[in-house]
Amino acid sequence: MTEEDALSYVTSVAKTLSLPLEPDRAQRVAQHLARNAQIAQVLDRIPLDAYDELAAIYCPAPFPAAGDMGGQHG
Amino acid sequence: MVDTIQDAAKQNHSGSDQKIDDAVSLAQSIARGERSAREVLNASIERISATDGQVNAFTDLTLDRARAKADAIDAQRARGESLPPLAGVPFAVKNLFDIAGLPTRAGSKINRTRSPAQGDAFLVQQLDAAGGILLGALNMDEYAYGFTTENSHDGPCHNPHRLDRIAGGSSGGSAAAVAAGQVPLTLGSDTNGSIRVPASLCGVWGLKPTFGRLSRRGTFPFVNSLDHLGPFANTVASLTVGYDALQGPDPLDGGCHAEAVHLALPELAKGVDGLRIGILGGYFDELSSPAARSVVSLAARTLGAVDTVVWPDAGIGRAAAFVITASEGGSLHLDPLRTRADEFEPLAVDRFIAGALQPVSWYLRAQRFRRLYRDRVNALFKDWDILLTPATPISAPTIGTDWIEINGQTHPSRPAMGLLTQPISFAGCPVVVAPMWPEGTDGLPIGVQVIAAPWREDLALRAAYVLQNAGVAGIRGVNL
Repeated sequence: MTEEDALSYVTSVAKTLSLPLEPDRAQRVAQHLARNAQIAQVLDRIPLDAYDELAAIYCPAPFPAAGDMGGQHG
Repeated sequence: MVDTIQDAAKQNHSGSDQKIDDAVSLAQSIARGERSAREVLNASIERISATDGQVNAFTDLTLDRARAKADAIDAQRARGESLPPLAGVPFAVKNLFDIAGLPTRAGSKINRTRSPAQGDAFLVQQLDAAGGILLGALNMDEYAYGFTTENSHDGPCHNPHRLDRIAGGSSGGSAAAVAAGQVPLTLGSDTNGSIRVPASLCGVWGLKPTFGRLSRRGTFPFVNSLDHLGPFANTVASLTVGYDALQGPDPLDGGCHAEAVHLALPELAKGVDGLRIGILGGYFDELSSPAARSVVSLAARTLGAVDTVVWPDAGIGRAAAFVITASEGGSLHLDPLRTRADEFEPLAVDRFIAGALQPVSWYLRAQRFRRLYRDRVNALFKDWDILLTPATPISAPTIGTDWIEINGQTHPSRPAMGLLTQPISFAGCPVVVAPMWPEGTDGLPIGVQVIAAPWREDLALRAAYVLQNAGVAGIRGVNL
């Protein structure tokens, strides 16, 4: 995404969201969005298939049952 | 258990000539009648009065409430009643926690016009019930979107070890208040590193619990799918007692997954024999300065760790956390961004807007990846109990720094502070930050992340306790 592309995107989406942007601010936001785009591209390295669901309400692991805590590794 | 607390109270700092009372010793001395809760409170108020003009940790003081509570505790003791574990311990909270009677500013100008909170946040209630005395609210990055606490509305929070340096953020006031000896216990929040970064840069103990361990009810959100809350303290025992007091299932917070309390204090002195402890390499090593590597090496030697471990997809995890943070944070504030953008923090407003405009496909991809990431990280903990890595790549930079160098690579200073914390919190693992003091940083600290599997805060605290008792980690006094 070039800076020009980013600025064009920012201007049009901001209008869609009724978010007024002065030209200076639009330029700065476009720079941030271009950086975000580079970071988002990192995620393209991971193949995902249709069955990989959202982590909607995230839970890092099932809450342990009573008796599952401690002891197993010291 | 009592012996554990008493032993811990003797180990309340390392490498300092300045005696700093820890929460456990304070509560014990009040319970024994050696000091009154009112005396302890007055000492804390005097310390704040003497130092906060330089540090700028506090944004609000709740003195009337604090004095009433201290007097109630002293009366309770005079009647011969038993006191709860934190009776008379002054504490303070990041100003995104609801405090009855105050608007919850969350570091912003805009929120100051909100109605005062009707009650306290769940975790403030928990500490209050444990006898803690709330003394006020603390400085932070606006809406928690930052790692430096360079807050234009309240002024920057200064690092008590070097006043020209950042305190870290976004819970900068929470770490600085402990480092400055103003209060022994504080609360903060951590979405991508906001407990661990300031704990590292200010040289205090911090705990980011498992995602979903503690209720977030009554706090102003930043990124609902990533927000954690947790304590800072001046010793591991204080951190542990505070953490235990905070625990409790809360069905009214949909993000609170804990169904029972797992007390960590009874486990604290069990040591690390039998625990499998590794050092994170790859991504984490590449983004650590020599000083940061040196404190991890010292921690590893102390804990008997020699093996290097690769954390799966760390860079991708960080990217996904970044994308989710930008989208949810920006979306949350879309209405005021439309009408009051000029009242936002200048360092944050353009990032908030960029986040609000991100394509939804980026966000959804990041959330789908998180499922895979969880499974890969949890698989790692089948072979390891504790993993070590620095909390920040470097020690605290000067306030206003825009760019830093890490191993010859230039990085934007503010987001770079979270490079080593984001991949861990994205998995939701609990982390204790151990304050350590490398050579070559002009006396400034760098913390080490002591990481455990989800729901195993007890293991991270045990390892931290070993580091403290070996004298390699702990808080140091400041010259204020």
